[in-house]
Amino acid sequence: MRVPFAGFSAARLREFAPALVLAALVVLLAVSTPGFGTPETLLVVLADTATLFVLGVGLTFVILIGGIDLSIQAVASLSSVVVAMLVPRLGYAAFPAALGAGLLCGLFSGIAHVKLHVPSFIATLAASGVAGGIALLVSGARAVTIGEAGRAYLQWVAGSVLGIPAIILLGAMVLVAGMLVQRYTPFGRYGLAIGAGEAAALASGVRVDRHKMAALAVSGVLASLAGIFLAARMASGSPMLANQLMLPAVAAVLVGGTAITGGVGGVGRTLIGALIVSVVRIGMTFLGVNIFAQQILFGAVLIVAVALTIDRSKIPIVK
Amino acid sequence: MLQTIQLSKSFGGLPALRDVDIEIRPHEVVGLVGENGAGKSTLMKILAGVQQPTSGSLRRDGVPFVVHNPREAAALGIGMVFQEQSLLPNISVAENLFLGREAEFTRFGLMNWRRLHAAARRELQRVGLDIDPGRRTAELSFAARQMVELAKALSLEERVRGELVILLDEPTSVLERAEIERLFARVQDLRNRASFVFVSHRLDEVLALSDRVYVLKDGSVVATLPAAEANVTQLHRLMVGRALNAEYYMESDQAPYAPEVVLQARGLGVVGAYRDVNFELHRGEVLAIAGVIGSGREELVRSIFGFLPHTEGELRVNGLAVRLATPADAVAQGIGYVPRERRTEGLVTLLSVAQNITLANLDSVLHGVRIDYGQERTLAEDWVKRLHIRTAGVDMPCGSLSGGNQQKVVLAKWLTARSRILILDHPTRGLDVGAKEEVYRLVRALCRDGLSVVMTADTLEETIGLAHTILVMRDGNVTAVFDAVPGAKPVQLDLIEHMV
Repeated sequence: MRVPFAGFSAARLREFAPALVLAALVVLLAVSTPGFGTPETLLVVLADTATLFVLGVGLTFVILIGGIDLSIQAVASLSSVVVAMLVPRLGYAAFPAALGAGLLCGLFSGIAHVKLHVPSFIATLAASGVAGGIALLVSGARAVTIGEAGRAYLQWVAGSVLGIPAIILLGAMVLVAGMLVQRYTPFGRYGLAIGAGEAAALASGVRVDRHKMAALAVSGVLASLAGIFLAARMASGSPMLANQLMLPAVAAVLVGGTAITGGVGGVGRTLIGALIVSVVRIGMTFLGVNIFAQQILFGAVLIVAVALTIDRSKIPIVK
Repeated sequence: MLQTIQLSKSFGGLPALRDVDIEIRPHEVVGLVGENGAGKSTLMKILAGVQQPTSGSLRRDGVPFVVHNPREAAALGIGMVFQEQSLLPNISVAENLFLGREAEFTRFGLMNWRRLHAAARRELQRVGLDIDPGRRTAELSFAARQMVELAKALSLEERVRGELVILLDEPTSVLERAEIERLFARVQDLRNRASFVFVSHRLDEVLALSDRVYVLKDGSVVATLPAAEANVTQLHRLMVGRALNAEYYMESDQAPYAPEVVLQARGLGVVGAYRDVNFELHRGEVLAIAGVIGSGREELVRSIFGFLPHTEGELRVNGLAVRLATPADAVAQGIGYVPRERRTEGLVTLLSVAQNITLANLDSVLHGVRIDYGQERTLAEDWVKRLHIRTAGVDMPCGSLSGGNQQKVVLAKWLTARSRILILDHPTRGLDVGAKEEVYRLVRALCRDGLSVVMTADTLEETIGLAHTILVMRDGNVTAVFDAVPGAKPVQLDLIEHMV
């Protein structure tokens, strides 16, 4: 017997709609735009999506527990600056340094959120200011180009393996790792439990504070990985490099079907969401839509996606 | 003047009120008594328009009427003084009194504060409260806020023709003696303007204030009697409704506990909540804590699970002094908590039965850092069988289970976590009689297996029936300790004497 369950229809919508939308968009573009359906173009789409996806994965872990991380674009930019400045001097050691910077930013937000009880929205907004400010200071507010000598160190991201851009393979690794972590580790399980019922998770002895801190730290590290991707592809770092990525990243997570209220969703859905964002963006470019107008559409899409999927039985009052 | 005809209300198939007929006459104070869960609050909420009856009707002066919300009830002259206060703490007393009626005090959309305060002062005088209406409500004492609530309910008079009906839901439970007397004096003074319905756990007060008393039991009216002819013992017998049936609580299964002490409190206290609590919980013992709201028993229970760390004295688990700063610390000490708010604190209703069962001890199904789903399923299915949990499968979300089965999932969670001490916080709240019995049977079985229980219960009957030992609290102090061996259990009046 099927027991009626609150929020059931919204849950169904979240589950299937994004994949259908993605399929419809791809078909639409393939039919209307000659050349879109070719393997070469699809590889370009995937390569373009990788950075946004990695950014979105970290954000997914935070949104799943009902929080938000608004610092990811600043952290990614900071990381690109760290890479651009250190690669010529340190070589490969520049990358762990960039990831470490992301980890520190995540921990900064985490401590403010958990220990000082500042809402994640504010804690990460503040962290965004700090990370962005540091990036501006150390770079002298200029883009830092990586010279010829340093570019060899970027090949693990910017190069390709057997004709497939390495960045796609790296994105796939993040996908697999993310899905495994989410499904098979206590970190993934506790995230779902905290998002769906924090009080019950707390009363079951789950170390809720520790988990929140860890989620923000993971988000920081993945944001800096996204920053490394950006730096490698552009062969430069800039304190504003990731500035247009915050809105698309949130859109990717939510359009994919992860609920902003937490407890429902996952990394796999964020892949779909990120692909939707990418395909829409490329489609608009094909159609000749102004690049600035694209952000307008993402804003609108984001609102519609959240309005459609928010679980009103769980959250009667929205502030 | 106000009548209910065959009023019934059920929540999700569980009846809370059955065919209730009551009548409130002009200038009358009607008392309403019954155990927790007897339906008093539900009846009041229906009269106040907060809830709608499932069937039956309301009549005013013989004319049937329907109210959909408190505003409509107010328009008919029915006001309620809420048990959980309905005033907003962050605005002034005057603003609270006229909340939703600001339009009466505006000109060109701007508030005329002088007129608002003058009107507020008039209302406050009627209940004998001499305070500045401009004060922030949060600054008032609880008793003063209660009087403001009463004034707010009485202010209906200006808007409604005919007599008022004021519903008082447990207005005295947190008031001091002098404040209660003042409240009663006001009620007496106001009888020429209004009728009252008075709900209280304190039977002597109900008898002192009321003209007539209705006794509710399991959602039905079991007696109506003039207060002048009734006494406390008689009311009590009517409320409980039967000679205490020892077998309902499976007292013959109550085995003596072992000598070994598993949890010990010495001079335990939390500043502002309770102080100097001493007890020893033995293996296989049920220790029940009795007390009214504000007695400190709820805080004591939450301290033992790390929600409210103790600030004085000492808590020992298996002989070792511990400090439980978070629930996780308590769980690590082998303590489990079955909360009264099953759906918010007990379970993650969106997660499956299996996921809830392993939530407090994910290690039990962990290989390295990997959750073994097969093992999790086997473990959950085993508990479903052993505890007779009725569910379509261990993959079903817990929200789809009935209350009694949800409660068993919570127990299964703690048994999976190998808890040795269980805190049962109102474990049968909202359960029907059959589900309650199953919980009692489980408690007996757990004790036989060597678990120990700290319990606060909804009714004294349950407290006495299940307990080996009863701690009675009042105003933050332990006022009495009773042994409750089967065959020599204390009676409710013994406990009440130390509770109020």
